Amino acid sequence: MSLLPPGFDELERFEGWILASEKERHARRYDSSMDEIRDFYNAIKPKREAIVEYLNQFPMDELPADANRLFMMGLSFMEVSIAVEFFGRQQPVEGYDVDQMVAIE
Amino acid sequence: MKTVMADKRWCKKYPHVGTGPVSTEPNISPDLYELEKEKVFRKCWLNVGRVDQLPNPGDYFVADIEVCSVSILLTRGRDGTIRAFHNVCSHRSNRLVWDKSGCDSTSTCGFHCWVYDSDGKLRSITDESNFHDPDKKALGLTPIHLEEWLGFLFINLDPNPEQTLYEYLGGVVEELKGANFDPFKRVFSYEVNEKANWKTALSAQNELYHVPFQHHATIPDFAVKKDERYVRLQDVRFHGKHSIYSSEAPGGLPVPTLGSQGEEVRLPLIGDFDFYTIFPNFALLIIRGEQADSFIVYNFWPAGVGASKWDIGFYFVPPKNVGERLALEYAKCLTRDVLQEDVVAHEQVQAGLASRAKPHFQFQDEEIQIRHFHKVWEETCGVSL
Repeated sequence: MSLLPPGFDELERFEGWILASEKERHARRYDSSMDEIRDFYNAIKPKREAIVEYLNQFPMDELPADANRLFMMGLSFMEVSIAVEFFGRQQPVEGYDVDQMVAIE
Repeated sequence: MKTVMADKRWCKKYPHVGTGPVSTEPNISPDLYELEKEKVFRKCWLNVGRVDQLPNPGDYFVADIEVCSVSILLTRGRDGTIRAFHNVCSHRSNRLVWDKSGCDSTSTCGFHCWVYDSDGKLRSITDESNFHDPDKKALGLTPIHLEEWLGFLFINLDPNPEQTLYEYLGGVVEELKGANFDPFKRVFSYEVNEKANWKTALSAQNELYHVPFQHHATIPDFAVKKDERYVRLQDVRFHGKHSIYSSEAPGGLPVPTLGSQGEEVRLPLIGDFDFYTIFPNFALLIIRGEQADSFIVYNFWPAGVGASKWDIGFYFVPPKNVGERLALEYAKCLTRDVLQEDVVAHEQVQAGLASRAKPHFQFQDEEIQIRHFHKVWEETCGVSL
């Protein structure tokens, strides 16, 4: 089985954004350069509707493994969207400690 | 009800709240912190969670109230009743339950294996025949007063609370009469350990005046109408120790469209965004959504005069498909980042307060609810600063 569902192969180079927890996605956003973040954001953005349409064909709790990886990539896209669309940098406030606000998952 | 865009409306409506400067001492004084422990946290009703944390018989969770050196075990018994106990074994006062939450019909002390039922009764004493006629009926867990309001669980550490929870909440009960919070699930939770007094953190949330400035990158116009420069609240209401401020949201709030396939899921709202401060440290934020409303809960727990733990819970109608779940993630990440902007500010304010450069807060009319909060705090502590 390939990493991502058919039709989404070109997103496989963003494998590093397939992350299960908010803590991991949030940390990766902070640890990436804005160039890396924009590259990922710009690649996913035009495919948003196609991704949602593809994933919505499955019941939420029964995503096949490749679809689940696409879903996790989608969650990472939402995470970085805030950095790109609102702040133009990784963190909301310069010098903010990423570990201070702990997501209880 | 429309927002009136005039200046100084609330001080005329609520003259008893006053207009003078307010002392910063409660946020920095070690002596007042000690007083606050006894007069506020050991006397007032404190929210410690919601019934949805205990859906089934045997479910339990632990709430540690560090400021009072108390650990509380909340359980749902086999009879379906929710109870609260000191999380302390009757034998030699060991901490009974060490997990944060779980499901078990009994709790066993790790020290000498004394076993308790989920209704608090002592079930068995290890090597009982070698004790000196222990009265097992009297050796159950020590109960703590627990009452529920609309699914919110409140405890009171006073052995003889002066008021029932409903008496304590007063007019707030009427404001939310008939509200059904059950369709909403706690989808996201955060814990923030801050170098800020709990009142510094709470007060920063208890107004919208700061939003266009501190949150200029994220939600600058959420509460400001087009062609207006400053926030004007839609309504401010006081009920005993508690307050509500309410705002329209002309600029919109980061809430996803959920429940698109079902019926509307509504909560009582005065405006588009209602902020309830339930004294002392609980805030309930009700937010209008397109199809389904949502709510957020905050608990601000003292951890020293200059430190606190801010517990945050986001409640939404559960998403029905992956698309809704992704929309929810976006809204959550944006809201979380707005709150991160706040956290940084809480700590900077606390540092400024601790420097004692300024003996007073200066509150404007749209901050009257913070003024009210400080007045209530002083009255509750029996001080006039």
